[in-house]
Amino acid sequence: MKRETDYGHPIKSVYAPSDIEGFNYGKDLGDPGSYPYTRGYHPNGYRGRMWTQRMTAGLGTSSEANKVLKQYREMGQKGGMCVISDRTFSMPIDSDHPLGRKEAGVLGWPGSSLLEFEELMDGIPLTGQSVTLLGSCAPTSLRLAYIVALAEKRGVDVKQVHGSVMESPFENYFGQTDGQPFDLNLKLFLDASEYAIRNKIRMRSAIITQHFQESGGNNAQALAVEMAMLKEICGLLVNERGLDFDDVAPLPYELVTVGTRFFEEIAKMRALRRMWAKLAKETFKAKKDKSCHLLIAVHTSGRTMTYQQPLNNIARCAIQTLAGAIGGCTSIDNACLDNAYAEPSPLAARMSLNTQHIVAEETGVTDVVDPLAGSYFVEYLTNKVEEEAYKIWNKIEDLGGMIVAIQKGYIQDMLREAAQEKHREVENGDRLIVGVNDLVIPPEEDFEIPLQEVQASDSENIARRMEEWKKTRNMSLIKESLTQLYSDAKKEDKYNLMPSIIEAVKDYATAGEIMGVIRQARGLSYDTLKMIDCPFKFE
Amino acid sequence: MDNGKRIKVIVSMIGLDGHFTGGQVVSTILRDAGMEVVYLGTYQTPEMIVQAAIQEGVDVIGISSHASNYNLIGELVDLLRKKDMDHILVICGGTIPKQQILKLKEKGVAEIFTPQSTSKSIVNYIVSKVRGANGGPNK
Repeated sequence: MKRETDYGHPIKSVYAPSDIEGFNYGKDLGDPGSYPYTRGYHPNGYRGRMWTQRMTAGLGTSSEANKVLKQYREMGQKGGMCVISDRTFSMPIDSDHPLGRKEAGVLGWPGSSLLEFEELMDGIPLTGQSVTLLGSCAPTSLRLAYIVALAEKRGVDVKQVHGSVMESPFENYFGQTDGQPFDLNLKLFLDASEYAIRNKIRMRSAIITQHFQESGGNNAQALAVEMAMLKEICGLLVNERGLDFDDVAPLPYELVTVGTRFFEEIAKMRALRRMWAKLAKETFKAKKDKSCHLLIAVHTSGRTMTYQQPLNNIARCAIQTLAGAIGGCTSIDNACLDNAYAEPSPLAARMSLNTQHIVAEETGVTDVVDPLAGSYFVEYLTNKVEEEAYKIWNKIEDLGGMIVAIQKGYIQDMLREAAQEKHREVENGDRLIVGVNDLVIPPEEDFEIPLQEVQASDSENIARRMEEWKKTRNMSLIKESLTQLYSDAKKEDKYNLMPSIIEAVKDYATAGEIMGVIRQARGLSYDTLKMIDCPFKFE
Repeated sequence: MDNGKRIKVIVSMIGLDGHFTGGQVVSTILRDAGMEVVYLGTYQTPEMIVQAAIQEGVDVIGISSHASNYNLIGELVDLLRKKDMDHILVICGGTIPKQQILKLKEKGVAEIFTPQSTSKSIVNYIVSKVRGANGGPNK
């Protein structure tokens, strides 16, 4: 069995002061609440603000997802909601698209119109909790438009709504894709981010390595990729969109995947805070202390949730949740015991939320900030993962930054190799996973867990509803707003499309229509999948 | 089947499934085992996959699935049958629940490889099915 970090650095049997020679408390760590924030952003840690305990929801119809959100609130989901998009809205296409109708409601919420968002949020407040809508980059501007439109309908000041609805275009290269070209995704992402910043809407952008790690990337690579993405995006917002860095800094958040290698995961989170603080201060010359704080959300790792003996995943989730809590985070959402099979069943969701409650209430972990500081091993690991990450990040910068590194295939090759390596390690028995390559039992002896399923008929029903509803809309209003959008989308890339997207969304133009019109204006096919034609004519 | 040629396999995702890591890992495993892999990538419809299978003259179609209602895999098998191409072996891999495994096998999917499957078991299965149980001259 390998005794190495997940990025291949050998681990000794014991660590001593000599392993952190030159350690300087003030320079390397600082007190919690002071630069370089290795120990966290708040002097009194979770005593001042508990992490947001949330579970991902979304499967089947919008009304079904709404019921789940309400159940989660009853289960003690505090502070925030998190909804993931289905296969159609992730692209985005409409659920009545010829291919969309086959998989509407699969893996998430079929949010391809404002109507779906209204149904999702029925009876759920927009304020007083963070609203997070996840899925992929492409629908970023639509999700922000939904927030603006629904706030307006409800008479809520949109500045009072907080959460995250934007997602960076890089994730398309981290093991899953939304099918949209990079330049289009980047443009729409920058539009939405700029619009939120200029209008003081407290919606954050996910610039995250979750998918990268869930696809097999290691901890040092994840840190490097995260920093390279942050530098690229913040740089574009400052230099191309003319924003002040101190206004840009509150925009990004990182969703860190926390696996079972306990100490390494904690070290990664500590190193990330230190690396961002340095980037903010030294490269972007941040004037505000707060600009050196990168919001870190934790996702306990889905890839570690095994298909075999799924009850074992409860134990893994508990270890990971504890690591996330000790690492210092703003929120945690858990991959559940049934993660290898489906979206969380009510049982799995309750188990996961309770895991968070147990860690929060019963272990004492919330009493003390950064309790592992000063541990020779943890400080060594924090330094080491940072050092290895800087090496990779420097390579990315030498290539010309994150966008060029993607264009050259460098990131994709790195990730593919890392995924192969992880696979080899398990096949060779270099890393043991209980129930997978260790203590294996025959499948027929495995415990059956309840599973949520979406049937083909469920997808078809979602599609039919959209088909029928589309006929009831005021088409002249829609035509008008889409014509405006079409003409705006033909303007230069820096011309912000958010205002015209918001108008189209308010008129109940669908995600497929809005994305289609933007695509067409840019010389692409109306339909990403080239199966349907544009139903509108523009001059 | 022609025993003199390398075994040729399509590896593809189907429908709107945008997850490609598993398909890439399996492609490498099959290539390392000496097979010729035609990697189609994401957003393939049953029609596109069948067309590629005919054009490329493959022995096997492997569908990597992250999660689904598995609707389209059934359609793929039906389409192959309709086109008289059902000598092509269809196999699937992914985190596919037991109930769905039974349904897919009923539909005509030859084998489902779950995370329980080793690289060797996938390779051996393909070789034994394509070359015959006692192996062909290339074995």
